Amino acid sequence: MRVLATYNIKGGVGKTSTAVNLAYLSAREGRRTLLWDLDPQAAATYLFRVQARVKGGGHALVSRKRPLEAALKATNFDNLDLLPADFSYRNMDLDLDETKKRTRRLGQLLDSVADDYDVVFLDCPPSISLVSENVLHASDTLLVPLIPATLSLRTFEQLIRFVADSQGSRPEVVGFFSMADRRKRMHRDVIDAIPRDGTRVADTVIPALSIIEQMAERRAPVPAFAPTSRAALCYEQLWAEVRPT
Amino acid sequence: MTSATRTLQAADEGRLELEALVAALSSQYTVFTGPKQFVRRAQLDTFDRRLRAAGLTLEHQRLAAGEMLILRRAGGATTVAVPVTGLQWPALAEVLPTGPLREAIAPVTGIRALMVTSDETRRLRRLELHNEDGKTVARVELDEPASAAAAPARVSVRTLRGYDNQARRAARLLDGLGLHAVLDSEDNEPTLVAPMSRTNREVPASVLLTAALGDFLAAIRKNLPGLLDDVDTEFLHDFRVAVRRTRATLKLGRPALPEVMRSRWEPAFKGLGDMTTPVRDLDVYELDLPTMRGWLVAADPADLEPLAAHLRRRRTAQRRTLERRLRSVSFGRLVTEWEKELAQLADTRDDADQEHLSAGRLADRSISGAYQRVARGGAAISGDAPAEDLHQLRKRCKDLRYALEVFAPVVPEVPRKRAVTDLKGLQDVLGRFQDSEVQRQALRGFAEEMMAAGTSAGTVLAMGELIAHLDAEQHRAREEFDGAFARFTRPASQRMMHRLGCRP
Repeated sequence: MRVLATYNIKGGVGKTSTAVNLAYLSAREGRRTLLWDLDPQAAATYLFRVQARVKGGGHALVSRKRPLEAALKATNFDNLDLLPADFSYRNMDLDLDETKKRTRRLGQLLDSVADDYDVVFLDCPPSISLVSENVLHASDTLLVPLIPATLSLRTFEQLIRFVADSQGSRPEVVGFFSMADRRKRMHRDVIDAIPRDGTRVADTVIPALSIIEQMAERRAPVPAFAPTSRAALCYEQLWAEVRPT
Repeated sequence: MTSATRTLQAADEGRLELEALVAALSSQYTVFTGPKQFVRRAQLDTFDRRLRAAGLTLEHQRLAAGEMLILRRAGGATTVAVPVTGLQWPALAEVLPTGPLREAIAPVTGIRALMVTSDETRRLRRLELHNEDGKTVARVELDEPASAAAAPARVSVRTLRGYDNQARRAARLLDGLGLHAVLDSEDNEPTLVAPMSRTNREVPASVLLTAALGDFLAAIRKNLPGLLDDVDTEFLHDFRVAVRRTRATLKLGRPALPEVMRSRWEPAFKGLGDMTTPVRDLDVYELDLPTMRGWLVAADPADLEPLAAHLRRRRTAQRRTLERRLRSVSFGRLVTEWEKELAQLADTRDDADQEHLSAGRLADRSISGAYQRVARGGAAISGDAPAEDLHQLRKRCKDLRYALEVFAPVVPEVPRKRAVTDLKGLQDVLGRFQDSEVQRQALRGFAEEMMAAGTSAGTVLAMGELIAHLDAEQHRAREEFDGAFARFTRPASQRMMHRLGCRP
């Protein structure tokens, strides 16, 4: 089982869109795929038309009062399951803080479904917190969407330092540009200028396209409702770059 | 993920009306009816049903919209569906797309090819049951025969993970139409090898032997089509095993069988075995090549490509000869006449019973004799014994192994199984010793042929490395022989053989 997390300290950068679309592509290839929507805003859960509710809330999962398996929901797509968000996830830091090995608990929980899935996506809330530390330890790859802007790159550097300073196993960090608009000079300049030595930045750039915004209206991944669109092709290219071998 | 929940059919196994199903389900769900489509469903498994034994089913679905491979685990735990194109069967698992499907299948099928075990065209309608959020909470599939001879129409309700109660509710709605549950995929296929049943020791030996020979003839016939079509290497292997067992049984059964078995049929089956040897040897080299590549230290694995090509060429030529012989009138006559001979033996055994050598007595005599030959042969092997002596001992071990297998129905089960386990240890060492010897000589022969054809020095040097590895392996096996033989003749092992009627 390989775990990929879409993560950024900033919000609104395309984490959920990426997680939903890549998880769909993974499942379409026959990989048994799970997406865990860790964000209490529950955008991924909404996109998959699943109710944002987990019996007993995040506390029951984190404290293992209820098994992770009991909260899983099939999506409308073959091979793709969802662990829905719950508004109580806003308190997940507190729940994790009460456990032993508080920075490893999410990874331990995922171990319980390791035989059921080939790929797990974690759609993370925007913050640096105990949840983030758990995500770092549980993930094999951290996918970081970057809006092509100077401040965004600064945040990326902070994140790389944060990962480097963390204890124990560290995920591979893969940045990629998201919501890019090549008509804007600043976007072009930032994309061309980003240092690629030492840090992996995907070649694929996900453009800012209205069809990606339509996901919320269609409540489905882009490659499912617009399989030949440019956005779908971009996500396929990105998946080809980051797909676990 | 989905799993089959419940399959239903009409009480009279007749038609199921789509409109009636939709009407029943619409009371609780928004029902989306997919287009009518024809699906060709080919069930895949290996000839020896390895997937079934591992609790897996693999279906190749062909629809107008595309093709899918669908893997299901027993108990409906998981379903994996992968789009595919252009797959033809039979084929090894290596043709499957990389990913979880191949990862699940390949270790189970190993060197056996996937082949179609049943093939049927059905008419499908898929219904998606949506809740008020537009979320699919259950799937229903109406599966109708495309021809009158096919299985009756069925409707399946599939559970989506986390929505079990919705599938149950949908099934209840369909129950209201008076449908009956169908047990899920009952497999009535006969097993390939009938379980061995215990037999009274007092039955005439000829009865036991005839039954065993009949089983081996059945195995020869079952493996022949796959062998002729070159589906995978194991058809030839299993064909040869059946021939070898036939020969061993004829030899062991000499005291109880008519003279014609010795004068006519023993040489006939020896000839049949010999006829298949060249292709089998080449199969073994080809199967071993990936392992052999790993033995190379100085040479590049690519240096062995000319050897692989040489083996393929030789195999193609040898297979052509073998196929011609197996399709010949004389082979067909051999099988037919052998069947008649066995039938005649079964009919006339009342006369043979006059001498009445019981199966139990023949078993004791055969196992005891074979054991003593192994014990004497092994004890005579000194440190500088030639390879031929170990080869002869290996043959004696095989005789004992066959005796333990043929007479299994009339000897005590526990000591027999333990004796087989002990014997396997010795056979393994002798097998490695002899295989290394044979492969070394064969590689030398191949090298000479290839050099004459102008192969590169790199390839010959790589083959030299293989020969050196085989030489070292043969030495290792020789060093292990004394320990293996000592284990085989240890007191506990002798006591076990004594319980099987062996005199020490």
